[in-house]
Amino acid sequence: MSEEAIRLSGVNKAFSGHQAVQDLSLSVPRGVAFGLLGPNGAGKTTTLRMILNVLGPDSGAIEILGRPASQETRDRIGYMPEERGLYPRMVVEEQLLFFAEIKGVPRKEAARRLAPWLERLGLTAWRHRKLNELSKGMQQKAQFIATVLHEPEILILDEPLSGLDPVGVNVMRDVFVDLRRQGKTVVLSSHQMETVERLCDAIALIHRGRKVLDGPVSEVRSRHGKNTLVLSYEGDGAFLAGLPGVLKVNDFGRYVEIKMAEGADPQAILREAAARIRVSRFEVVEPSLHDIFVEQVTAGGEAAA
Amino acid sequence: MKRLLTIVRREYLERVRSKAFLLSTFLAPILVLGLTLVPSMLMERQRGKALRIAVVDATGALGSGVEEELRRQRVAGEPRFAVTPVAEDGAEAARLAARRGVVDGRLDGYLYLAPDALLTSKAEYFGKNVSNVMDLRLVEQSAESALMQHRLAREGLDGARVKAVTRKLDLRTVRLTASGEREDRGASFFLALMLLTLLYMTVPMWGAAIMNGVIEEKSNRVVEVIVSSIPTSYLFAGKLLGVGGAGLTQVSVWMLTMAAFGAYGAAAAGGMPMPELSPLLLGSFVVFFLLGYFLYGALYAGVGSAVNTQQEAQSLAFPVMMPLVLGFVFFPAVLGSPDSPFSVTLSLIPFFTPMLMFLRITAVTPPMWQIALSIVLTLATVIGVTWAASRVYRVGILMYGKRPTFPEMLRWIRESGG
Repeated sequence: MSEEAIRLSGVNKAFSGHQAVQDLSLSVPRGVAFGLLGPNGAGKTTTLRMILNVLGPDSGAIEILGRPASQETRDRIGYMPEERGLYPRMVVEEQLLFFAEIKGVPRKEAARRLAPWLERLGLTAWRHRKLNELSKGMQQKAQFIATVLHEPEILILDEPLSGLDPVGVNVMRDVFVDLRRQGKTVVLSSHQMETVERLCDAIALIHRGRKVLDGPVSEVRSRHGKNTLVLSYEGDGAFLAGLPGVLKVNDFGRYVEIKMAEGADPQAILREAAARIRVSRFEVVEPSLHDIFVEQVTAGGEAAA
Repeated sequence: MKRLLTIVRREYLERVRSKAFLLSTFLAPILVLGLTLVPSMLMERQRGKALRIAVVDATGALGSGVEEELRRQRVAGEPRFAVTPVAEDGAEAARLAARRGVVDGRLDGYLYLAPDALLTSKAEYFGKNVSNVMDLRLVEQSAESALMQHRLAREGLDGARVKAVTRKLDLRTVRLTASGEREDRGASFFLALMLLTLLYMTVPMWGAAIMNGVIEEKSNRVVEVIVSSIPTSYLFAGKLLGVGGAGLTQVSVWMLTMAAFGAYGAAAAGGMPMPELSPLLLGSFVVFFLLGYFLYGALYAGVGSAVNTQQEAQSLAFPVMMPLVLGFVFFPAVLGSPDSPFSVTLSLIPFFTPMLMFLRITAVTPPMWQIALSIVLTLATVIGVTWAASRVYRVGILMYGKRPTFPEMLRWIRESGG
């Protein structure tokens, strides 16, 4: 059995002249939560569609659980699209059975599996209602059941938290934790860095159809060095930007983030600051994925331009 | 294959369970039949009861003749009038008595022949209901006939003989078909019009049903989940078949109701000539509905996949509707001369076939080879159109944003896609 859940090697995909994905290679190990990052239009959706065998690559190879992507491999994937992916006017139970059936689960078997799921997520009383009679949070739960009822080994969630209210976010987080516990492989596509940072073990950042960087989250962050300071203080901190070794200051109101030049000494900056303002917090941190993302994307943009 | 059936099943059940479907399927025939049956049933009831009529004769010469003529009038084998004598001496007294009779409801009406009626050829009818033209015509005929016979007798001629000699021509129009002959007094024309209108309503209706289904699936992203589970062609075919199945169910119910009506109605309407509701006609309605549905339904599905909203669909759907509209423009010409080379040619053009070939079948029975050829040509076109539309569909359902232009859609068809 292959150790990799998903493997892309040198994949290219173009749409009428526009290169959507370029020479993309990815490896998602089994049992890992993997974040596919990138700004809108980076090629995330196209990549997911190729993994799901909705689109075929122009060149390159895609392997799912050690086999070339096919109808058979995608039965082992559960996919949840960015927005709703259910029929609003269809009865919940009927609908969930339908989605399991088109994944190749016999109707009887699907019905047998469905009951405990409905019970667990508190939807039993609502199973004969139309989807649009349910609250947002409950719709989200139904959506989730539709994604997992065929017991997939891989889950692909496209922007799972976008447009959700706090209740919906909680539902999704529980679900996510649960899936991790079951040892499922989860691929999460998002442009929300914080979400990915909190939930994923490994990431790949793609921009303009190319992979910019990838690896485990901790490795990616440490690879980009401990070059960021967080500082909370009272007084006028305007001078901070002019200190030697300071590249950039981002003011967040209650604290500032200071980006240091290569080889700058954080202690020197602290001494200088302590002498002129009341410092209440000082911390050397790894750059957030957001910073890395912005850095890479702007750099890549310049390179391409 | 099993998954294709899953799609077909869902599409079919969703349509068939909707209130709109139940309403239109079961209410439409009731309405159509009601509109046809009720008036004829009312007439039937009225006809069953002979009109109580009195003859008030002030000439002293015509009365018995008119009464005799009236008694002879028959409609659907039954005497139309019950002649009620007025037991009063003197014309004036009889007139007043008859008048009271009508007012009190003992009489339906009375015919008054003034003293100079023989000279003036004038008579008056007084009745509760003076709008039943057919009955009045019979009263008029009776009086006229009696008057004529009286005059002929005065000239020394035998009235009965003259009547026999001058008997009027009764033109019976018979529609001749391979299956036999049948009396027809324009009912076929109305039936053709009705069925054609039905075809014109249902084909675009079910086409639009597919289109709206496609747009809905696309706008709430259900389509993404589905095509990540099964091949796009399954979804496309499943939709076409499932919605088509619902449409077929509907027109079958309609046609069966009409067939039942044809069988029962012929008896109910008595002597009224009923339009011909032959199995050929009803069967070809179903066949041409299906051909029209698959031809236009595939196009509608393609259009639906290319747009994001129903509003956007309007402008793209118009070119799809064009052949249907054109077909309607040709309708009078084709009905007027269903066998002219012009009509034959038009009815063999696949986009017109479902409407115009059906129209020709209702008007005359075209040669079998023409019907067969039109079906083969349309089927070939259906295959071509479905192929092209499915290619637009597989690209369109995954595209959001700007509505594609026609050249772009043509490129989707040409390019292999992926």
